[in-house]
Amino acid sequence: MISTFPDVFRSSLGKLKLLPFGFVVVAGVFSSYWTTAIAATSPQRVQIEGEIIDTWCYVTEIMGDAQGTAHHLCAVWCAIGGIPVSILGDDGQVYMVLRVENEDTNVANPTIVKIQTHKVIVDGDLYERDGVKYLFVDQVADDKGVVNLNHEDYGIIPFGE
Amino acid sequence: MRIFSKLLVTSVFSLSVALGTAHAANEWGIEHEEAKELDGKVVDLACELSGNCPANCGDGKRQLGLLLEDGTLYPVVKGGTNFAGGTDDLIGQCGKSVHVDGLLIKDPLMTIYFVQRIKSKETGEWSKANQWGKSWKAANPGKKLGRWFREDPIVAKIVDESGKLGIPGLVYVEE
Repeated sequence: MISTFPDVFRSSLGKLKLLPFGFVVVAGVFSSYWTTAIAATSPQRVQIEGEIIDTWCYVTEIMGDAQGTAHHLCAVWCAIGGIPVSILGDDGQVYMVLRVENEDTNVANPTIVKIQTHKVIVDGDLYERDGVKYLFVDQVADDKGVVNLNHEDYGIIPFGE
Repeated sequence: MRIFSKLLVTSVFSLSVALGTAHAANEWGIEHEEAKELDGKVVDLACELSGNCPANCGDGKRQLGLLLEDGTLYPVVKGGTNFAGGTDDLIGQCGKSVHVDGLLIKDPLMTIYFVQRIKSKETGEWSKANQWGKSWKAANPGKKLGRWFREDPIVAKIVDESGKLGIPGLVYVEE
């Protein structure tokens, strides 16, 4: 069958009629993507149990296994120096703490500096974005104090004193 | 293990001292690190995520991050002073675009950025990201910046109260 010019024209017109439907589909896809993007930044209620740690030393491992009494002093230095504090969860994940209860600051915050290395259970909001788990703690449900006594194995890291 | 740890710390310390004379981001040999210059807007992390936004990114009391043009958010956790963060280096640029140089560490546990240099928009000159140390030195005249963590009065008070191990009365004596 040979298509004439009018046939092709009519066929094209038919396709044009589908354009609005196409726009609706594309808009739907973008809308779905946008909704997903927003959902990715929405918080999730969580309860985390773990040890308060120094984010930099633990993630980079420049001080070896940066936790427990062996690394407590260094963790205090880093917290006073303004490096973010995290919780090393019992699940092995690291949660960067951006708020503790009613405190509105998170750089060298006195409350969190004083509980370095403590084993805690906290309730809060978890935001996950671009490879980071951010935690906004609204309640420290339990503070067991320092329980990870690893200094007998490792000494005091760094410098040995 | 202890000797290895001390050697490692000494090496890291030497590297960080060398940072003061370097002309590009210094690599630290950290797994997953990449020397990386970034363009981004300085943001208050808590504000960016939760909408709780005090004036001027919290005036240096809030952790800061870099928001890239494509929407990627990186927390800036480390600055050029030993054992100190990068907030003091970036707070003056709250809400503004900056060009920085440093180490981007995409560890599976957490992605973090170590800012080492900041480029001035006005002059195009690089400056070292060591504002925390400058501020500490100004607040503690006569004390040695290289030993700030030993001589800082707030650290000293905490150690007095809870000891070097975090438990009052518990002392470690190296055998």
